[in-house]
Amino acid sequence: MSKNKVKVQRSAMAKREERWAWLFIAPPFIGFMLFMAYPIVFAIIASTSKWTGINSLWGNIVGLQNYIKIFSDIKFWKSMGTTIIYMIGIPIGMILGILIAMGLNRKIPGKRFLTTMYYVPVVSSLVAVSILWAWVFNYDYGLLNGIYKLLTGMHGPNWLGDEQMVKVSLIIFMVWKGLGGTVILYLAGLQNIPQDYYEAAMIDGANGWEKFRNITLPLLSPVTFYVLITSLIGGFQVFVEVQVMTPSGGPNYSSATVVFYLYEKAFTNGQLGYGSAVAVILAIIIFIITAINFWGQDKWVKTID
Amino acid sequence: MKKKVLSIILAGLMGAGVLAGCSTTTVEEAGEATADTQTAAGSEATATESESTTESVTGEGDQTIHVFLYMQEHEKAIYQKLIDQFVEEHKDQVKEVVFEVTTQDEYNQKMIANMTAGDMPDVFYVGPASVRSYVDNGYVLPLDDYVDEATISSIWGTTQEIYRYDGTNIGSGSLYAFPKDLSCFAFAYNQDLFDAAGLEYPDPENPYTYDEFIEVCKALTIDKDGDGEIDQWGVANADQFGMTPYLYSNGVKFLNDDMTKVNVANNPQLTEALTFYTDLTKNGLTPSVEQDTALGGYQRWLDGQVAFYACGTWDVAAFMDDATFPYKWNLCGWPVGPSGDGKSHTWMGSVGYCVSSTTKYPELCAELVAKLSTDPDGQREVSGITSGASIQLPNIVDLAYGEFKDAVNNGTVPYASNVDVIFGYFDGNDHYEAALQETDYTYNAEWFTPFWSGVFNIKNGDISVEDYLNQVEPEMQAALDEAIELQNSATK
Repeated sequence: MSKNKVKVQRSAMAKREERWAWLFIAPPFIGFMLFMAYPIVFAIIASTSKWTGINSLWGNIVGLQNYIKIFSDIKFWKSMGTTIIYMIGIPIGMILGILIAMGLNRKIPGKRFLTTMYYVPVVSSLVAVSILWAWVFNYDYGLLNGIYKLLTGMHGPNWLGDEQMVKVSLIIFMVWKGLGGTVILYLAGLQNIPQDYYEAAMIDGANGWEKFRNITLPLLSPVTFYVLITSLIGGFQVFVEVQVMTPSGGPNYSSATVVFYLYEKAFTNGQLGYGSAVAVILAIIIFIITAINFWGQDKWVKTID
Repeated sequence: MKKKVLSIILAGLMGAGVLAGCSTTTVEEAGEATADTQTAAGSEATATESESTTESVTGEGDQTIHVFLYMQEHEKAIYQKLIDQFVEEHKDQVKEVVFEVTTQDEYNQKMIANMTAGDMPDVFYVGPASVRSYVDNGYVLPLDDYVDEATISSIWGTTQEIYRYDGTNIGSGSLYAFPKDLSCFAFAYNQDLFDAAGLEYPDPENPYTYDEFIEVCKALTIDKDGDGEIDQWGVANADQFGMTPYLYSNGVKFLNDDMTKVNVANNPQLTEALTFYTDLTKNGLTPSVEQDTALGGYQRWLDGQVAFYACGTWDVAAFMDDATFPYKWNLCGWPVGPSGDGKSHTWMGSVGYCVSSTTKYPELCAELVAKLSTDPDGQREVSGITSGASIQLPNIVDLAYGEFKDAVNNGTVPYASNVDVIFGYFDGNDHYEAALQETDYTYNAEWFTPFWSGVFNIKNGDISVEDYLNQVEPEMQAALDEAIELQNSATK
């Protein structure tokens, strides 16, 4: 009875509004189904097949065979290891980001210019700056080794040609490229901290370090959390700079990342099924790590409210 | 709790982004950049436009053909003319020939998309490596019934063979494609450096032996400005493409005859040839591994720093251009090893036009394919006889030995005068021989990657040739097994 009543009470206007609501929801929903849900389902199915793009996907379903192979695939583990090593850049970027943001948060001349300067790499084309840095790192003709030779008179390291150095070089590049974004976020975070807290702390006799340790850092933790999550996800997806600076994956495959390996498998070697399986594993890893981060945030992420 | 649920959903979406291919940079963007950075043997792929372009001319008939190829802009202009002619010749049948062109980088991905969507163009490319997969999966039509024998026999023998397939072997059976081109990776020398050193030029009819080559390279490796550092080398080599000719010229084969087993660990000819090859660098006759990472051999050759360098047929036009390469140069053969058949070997490459099995107009498409491949005027134009700029060598043998050579000799086509070296490789003779790379006969080239990509470790002295070959064989074999499995998956 009461149900009927509710229906009767709905005005024509409410109905019209509901129709409009559906209309507004439709574009992102259709977009999501078409460009996210469908490819995801497709990739999961493809990952259980020996699909090459040329043969038929459905005729070549092999179950979990690709996944089993990946577990003993040396190149997969090597590229996974490299991907994780590159993440050393994340804390470095955060520390530098906080320091620079704190500097820029003071009333210093040229603040706007400096902020812009730090942000330019973020808005530059990744391919373009990668090519540029490949020259900066060049063994004989690069800017870095040019400076090194001026200072020491000796030939500098082989930045992109040595198995260990190439990782260092890419970490330097990634920190440089991401720093501007981190700085802007921390700057916004710093400006959100009410001055009263510092004043109160000053009255209590806190020194600079104590203020930083007990006010700034905790109140920046939401920003830190955001930067950490996005950097981790981005870190697992590194591809372009590796592809541009070391097109064959570096000496002895030392600079290749998981996505680089995935791309190589799928598009160079025509193993789209296997490549999809690598992508699924990568997605699961990212899911787990992001989930852990969200579960754990209560322990250290503090908000002003 | 609500927050946690929400956060898990968020985390899920972020992870799923990988699967849906969501990333800030597209694959195309990255692919394009490689074309710029791979200069050595990849110069065929330096077209810069990333968008595919579509052009069409209309006739009065009702048949529409969709042609999908990759080529560079200046090539496209030539082929557009041929297609316009074709429409004119068949205007009572043809309504339109849609001519879509993209870059080499994007081509494969677009073809995979077409195959997955079941929406194939009527005419497209097939490389020798893909003939089997394409035929086994029923994508392409045999062309024998549509094209006369005279047309087929007018093209290079190699190109008659590599597009034939009988269901088991390449080289016999029906013909599935006509060549767009035939190319080979020849060797070149910088005449000016030979003059400066007072050396005799290499004899185009008698390629050097390994030993002779070392002597010549020693004489050409010098410290020009006297600062104590070598700044001119005998030769520079790119491992991926420029190593195999040395090895092939010593009789090396990486695979057994039916291409199922990798044969590198117990292969005396390979051990000998690879020792020779890596010693060139160890003995300082090429730039060092470090120097090579700073500036590749191709750039050093263009800069006049090395006396010998590989020269693909597609490189000739660039080397003839004074602005690109301001030196006198000519072609010669790759040095011949002591344990081979005494001939200089290299690899050839080709891509062919094929006709979709789904086309409604097989006859018309086959005629178009034959015209694109063998139309004499078209071939005069792409080879430079009429245009003065050689994009490729003529597909028609008589035209190559006749009008093309005449045009080279009388200077109409700017080309290295020792063009016979290339013809020798194409046709085979007492001193020259060439074949496709072995990777062109396997489903993919992944088995060869571990081989070439680690050779620098030998040059660096980090591992001996013997140890290297022992170490790399299992990895190569595993990748080959995988390739065979994928090849066979087609017929399931």
